[in-house]
Amino acid sequence: MKTNQSRAIRRLAVLLGVLLLVGCGKKETAEEQPAAPSPAAAPASAPIDPATAASVSGTVKFDGAAPKPAKIDMSQDPSCAGGNTAENVVVNGDHLENVFVYVKEGLGNRTFDVPKDAVTLTQSGCRYRPHVLGVMTGQTITIVNGDPTTHNIHPTPKDNREWNESQAPQAPPLEKTFAREEILLPVKCNQHPWMRMFVNVVKNPFYAVSGPDGKFEIKGLPPGDYTIAFVHEKLGEQDQKVTLAAKDSKTVDVTFKSGT
Amino acid sequence: MPDKPIPDDDPIVSKSLAPHYVVAVIILMGTLFWALWDEDFGQRPWKSFQHEWKDRYSVFLKTARSQSSASQKDVEAAAEYQAVKLSFEQANQMAAPRSKEINEKLRALNGKILALQNVFTDRRAYVNASTYDIETETSNSAKQSKQRDLDAYKQEVTTVEYPDGSKQKYNFPQLEETYNALRNERTQLSAELGEIIKPVNAQKEKLDAYVSEHMVNLTASQLAGLQDKTEAWEPKIVQINVPEANIVDRCESCHMGVREPVKLTAAAMSLKGKKPDEYARAFTSHPEPDLLKTHDPDKFGCSPCHQGNGRATTSVEKAHGNYEHWLWPLFPRGNIEAGCQTCHAADMVLVSNDVGWTLSDGKDLFRQRGCVGCHRYEGYDKEPEDLLSIAQQIKLIEQEKKDNLKQANYLMKQADTAESNEEANRMNDRAVALKVTNSKLDLRVVQLDRTTKSLLQDMKKVGPNLKDIRLKLNRNWIPVWLKKPSAFRATTKMPDFRFSDEQIQAISAYIWQSALTDPLPKHKPGSAAHGKELVESRGCLACHSIGEGEQVQGGTFAANLTRVGEKDNYDYLVRWVHNARERTRPYCPIEKKDIGPEDYKRKGLPYVFDLDHSKCPNDGHELQVQNMTVMPSLRLSPQDAEDVASYLVTLKKQEPSAYPDAAFMDDPKLKEEGKKWIRHFGCAGCHELSGFEDEGRIGTELTTEGSKPIERLDFALLTETAQRGGKEPITDPDDLARLPEGPAKQPWYDHKGFFEHKLAEPNIWDQGKIKPEEEKLRMPNLHLTKEQVRALTTFLMGSQESALPITYQYKPLDYRRDIQEGWWVVRKYNCMGCHQLIPGQKTSLMALARYQEAQEQLPPKLLTEGARVNPEWLLSFLANPSLSDTDTNRNGIRPYLQVRMPTFSFSENELGKLVRFFQALSAQPFPYIPEQRPPLTAKETDMARSLFSSTAAPCLKCHATGDPAHDKTATAPNFLQAKGRLKPDWVERWIIDPQAISPGTSMPSGLFKRENNLWIFSGPTPASFNGYDKDHTKLLVEYIFQLTPEEQRRVSASMGRARAASGGSSSGVRTAGGSAQRAPE
Repeated sequence: MKTNQSRAIRRLAVLLGVLLLVGCGKKETAEEQPAAPSPAAAPASAPIDPATAASVSGTVKFDGAAPKPAKIDMSQDPSCAGGNTAENVVVNGDHLENVFVYVKEGLGNRTFDVPKDAVTLTQSGCRYRPHVLGVMTGQTITIVNGDPTTHNIHPTPKDNREWNESQAPQAPPLEKTFAREEILLPVKCNQHPWMRMFVNVVKNPFYAVSGPDGKFEIKGLPPGDYTIAFVHEKLGEQDQKVTLAAKDSKTVDVTFKSGT
Repeated sequence: MPDKPIPDDDPIVSKSLAPHYVVAVIILMGTLFWALWDEDFGQRPWKSFQHEWKDRYSVFLKTARSQSSASQKDVEAAAEYQAVKLSFEQANQMAAPRSKEINEKLRALNGKILALQNVFTDRRAYVNASTYDIETETSNSAKQSKQRDLDAYKQEVTTVEYPDGSKQKYNFPQLEETYNALRNERTQLSAELGEIIKPVNAQKEKLDAYVSEHMVNLTASQLAGLQDKTEAWEPKIVQINVPEANIVDRCESCHMGVREPVKLTAAAMSLKGKKPDEYARAFTSHPEPDLLKTHDPDKFGCSPCHQGNGRATTSVEKAHGNYEHWLWPLFPRGNIEAGCQTCHAADMVLVSNDVGWTLSDGKDLFRQRGCVGCHRYEGYDKEPEDLLSIAQQIKLIEQEKKDNLKQANYLMKQADTAESNEEANRMNDRAVALKVTNSKLDLRVVQLDRTTKSLLQDMKKVGPNLKDIRLKLNRNWIPVWLKKPSAFRATTKMPDFRFSDEQIQAISAYIWQSALTDPLPKHKPGSAAHGKELVESRGCLACHSIGEGEQVQGGTFAANLTRVGEKDNYDYLVRWVHNARERTRPYCPIEKKDIGPEDYKRKGLPYVFDLDHSKCPNDGHELQVQNMTVMPSLRLSPQDAEDVASYLVTLKKQEPSAYPDAAFMDDPKLKEEGKKWIRHFGCAGCHELSGFEDEGRIGTELTTEGSKPIERLDFALLTETAQRGGKEPITDPDDLARLPEGPAKQPWYDHKGFFEHKLAEPNIWDQGKIKPEEEKLRMPNLHLTKEQVRALTTFLMGSQESALPITYQYKPLDYRRDIQEGWWVVRKYNCMGCHQLIPGQKTSLMALARYQEAQEQLPPKLLTEGARVNPEWLLSFLANPSLSDTDTNRNGIRPYLQVRMPTFSFSENELGKLVRFFQALSAQPFPYIPEQRPPLTAKETDMARSLFSSTAAPCLKCHATGDPAHDKTATAPNFLQAKGRLKPDWVERWIIDPQAISPGTSMPSGLFKRENNLWIFSGPTPASFNGYDKDHTKLLVEYIFQLTPEEQRRVSASMGRARAASGGSSSGVRTAGGSAQRAPE
């Protein structure tokens, strides 16, 4: 009986060992493939020298007749008050707001520390503020409910995990992170169907959102060749290449056309 | 070489070896012939069977005739038939004059009785209704005034007109007396008539038997075919070979007639004018052809049911397995059903039309008499084991959940740092799946918790809860009882333990001192007379009996109440009668203690525990909140409970105070000793006992007791006696009377002998041994009857580890499994004490005198219950038969019945089983999806109403309407309940031919007739029906299902029911209550 048992245990151990080996082997090959062009084990790049840091700024413009913002019927919840127009294309004059601008390519293998400071997403007047948010992977987003009504924050990501949590009025802020890069990650509230915003999760700290005047600025870039992406929830993405020398300060303007 | 003289006595010359050779040749030849004979016959006794068969069967077939009138004449022409016929006619002539006389008297009497009955039943209904009114009346003054009214009514004189034209005036008591006198006379005359024509009937039977024995259910050509086949028969081994089950049965090599398509009796297969011999008995056809239909011999063979050595062909003994080298001899005739158990162990009731099966009785006895208390048997009393296994499962699930969570967290961490989005999404999906799995596991745990609750509810004990005995019993009675329970109550389930006086003292001291002492509410004495009426009318006697010996009345399922008054406390009885499940304290199986008010107080909770408040205040686990008895609640009012208890305490032969003082029961020194003996004797197998809640069974497991090799059954010093036979070791006359085959004459060294002797006198194997108390056989004497011993022996003999493949076991997975499981519940609660579930089955109530003249007062038959009712309705009804949360002191569906459908507090588990059982028994789909029913048009409604209120079918005359005055005399349920309760298809079948569904029901058949492929109302119909080309039955059913209370009131008013129900008139049978019928608005 005893010998049987110990034999069984030994056999089990061997089996486990084999499985482990097989498992490890698989993982290795899986890791190797994407790692081939830029090995993960590569040493982290040298820190950015503030003395040589360059910057990019510019204005996002809109060409054509600005679409009339759609009206939102908020009457279902009396505690929702305030502006009641849709925010999907916000144009002031010919300046386009809410365009997410970020360095898409050119940073190579550089990794960046996650900022300690959290960014805040507020619900007020039954709207998410800001409407477009940039955040680094792993950076904390503090979500605050400033409304006298209950909201539910419901991101529907492609590459991150989906969740959906309720937040009552005066409830403590929720703290959330997204682990993987994802541009235009939609966030909604099922109780107020018009409530919608986008989180943009990127791996570097070089991003900005165009303001009401269409302006943006990205600072502290090391010299190099970059692709800057301009992303708008309705109007799509435009990429611009830019070469930055040490302490350069370049201007890149883009224009979105209606219907693109 | 010199010549030697030739000796005188030269052996070559003088001696001959011829005799030696002759002897040798004879021996050799003898051996040769013997060998040849043996080869052909000695080793093949079946050959002579087959030759004999061929002769006798040919003769039988020649005399047999096809069943037709011409052939009957043929049969009747035989001389033998004529002889029987002659004696029949003689007997008939002898009896004729007197029987004619009696028949005439009876006819006259019947007319008189009928005339009287018309008046009498009417008035009796009023008297009963008024009596009920008085009983239920709470105010005393109203009671008295009603009583005065009733007395006046009884004195009222009515006229009865007899068929001969004479008229008589009677008041009620006279009416009753005359009626009973006339009926008595009729009974006597009928009995006399029976005696007179008995010899005539006997002769007639003989005559019929002759015809049936010579007539077969075959055509002439089939008969001829059989004859040819028989004549062409060449002797050969006939065998059934089923390789996958390892069955090789050659039984039919001798039993040639078993599967013949005609019924062969031993008499028919005997030689002419001789008594049936060995051959004749062997050639009979199988007595249960229906069993063969469901158990095709080509698949099942013979030996799986009958045992014996199916391969053996050299002798009858060997083939039947009756020799020492064969372990499983043929089951004897008296225990033939043991064979069923080998495959039907999972059945409580073998087949759904089984009435009077020995084996079913054995199974039932094994459970009801508490054998399960000491002996484990697979499938019996499995709640404690199930509880354990569920606790185990919950533990495993909790562990699995923990592992899943860990794994999910790990996967998410991996996903966050994965190289590609695909990889990340895949891992995230797996993490999500694990979380969902955990939710499923959570829900599974919720289900298991509910199952736990069900199991705690389902778990029953055979005997009463002894924690309550201080509250319940007369202390001094206990030792007297323990001495010999059967002496106090002959039919008790409590067996006789052969306790010594010291043991009795110690045991009673322990149970007394360990019992609860919580105070019981005091009750004022009630009316014993009313209590008696309640006991007799509410249905107590379906399970309990009252009276002893010849006088005993009622069921055998529960205790005989004849001497309850000597032992029970009044206050406890009130509680018990009101709700037997009410516990003194709830028991916590985790903490292993009885929880009391102090535990609840500590948590700031009210001391409330019942099925809705069953969580332990200390640990949150399920409590045992009920007494573990099958006794239901009859939903009696507190007053009625007092009345019943008041009656019960009057049932006694001697005063409770007459029992000798048993002060030793309070002696703390005896307690430990008592505990020891209680453990020794396994009292906790049947009783709930403080300190013994988790006690295991003390007896041997019996699941496969029948396949124990005989050497392992310990006959002790009687082994030799049993092997030799001839001397019966049991000498006690009571025990001797329990042996089904009487005192042993043959050797009885077999399973049957062991079980029968053990059951008749359980300590028999101690005979001749000197043992210390602790080592003596513990099994008590269950004081069984002969039939009970036979039933249990059959059950045990069949309890075998079957060598057959598992597929031979009857463990169906379809609707039949619901039937199988349902019977366990049905038998557990003795549903058949009140309800007929199988045609022909007798209920305990049917035998009671009070129902002889009032069949319609019996509980409904449940022959097609699943087809009749909507399962959801059935579920709610079984959970609460009053169908009301407030007005519970009544029947929900048949308020007019005095007998009460009790509340059994079935668990979810048992409710589900019962509902599925009834559905499956009627082959109904489950779940039930009601058909969409189109509303009737206004014209159709009018037409249907005219049927509903027709004088030819006055539905509301018998069916309850909700009008209390009317409902007192109602004998059928209210139509308003039809919609939620009944299935329309069934209702249509029912109104066409109720007698075919529930034989003997008050509802008459023949209300509709079949014409031109339509069901047409038998009574007159208004002109609107002209040209109507649909079934009238469907029309009426639709109407009933759409009936509203307003409509029913209108129709009822138009039929003048209110007047008829007042009972003031004495107009005989109220046939046309609706003479005032008018066109409904």
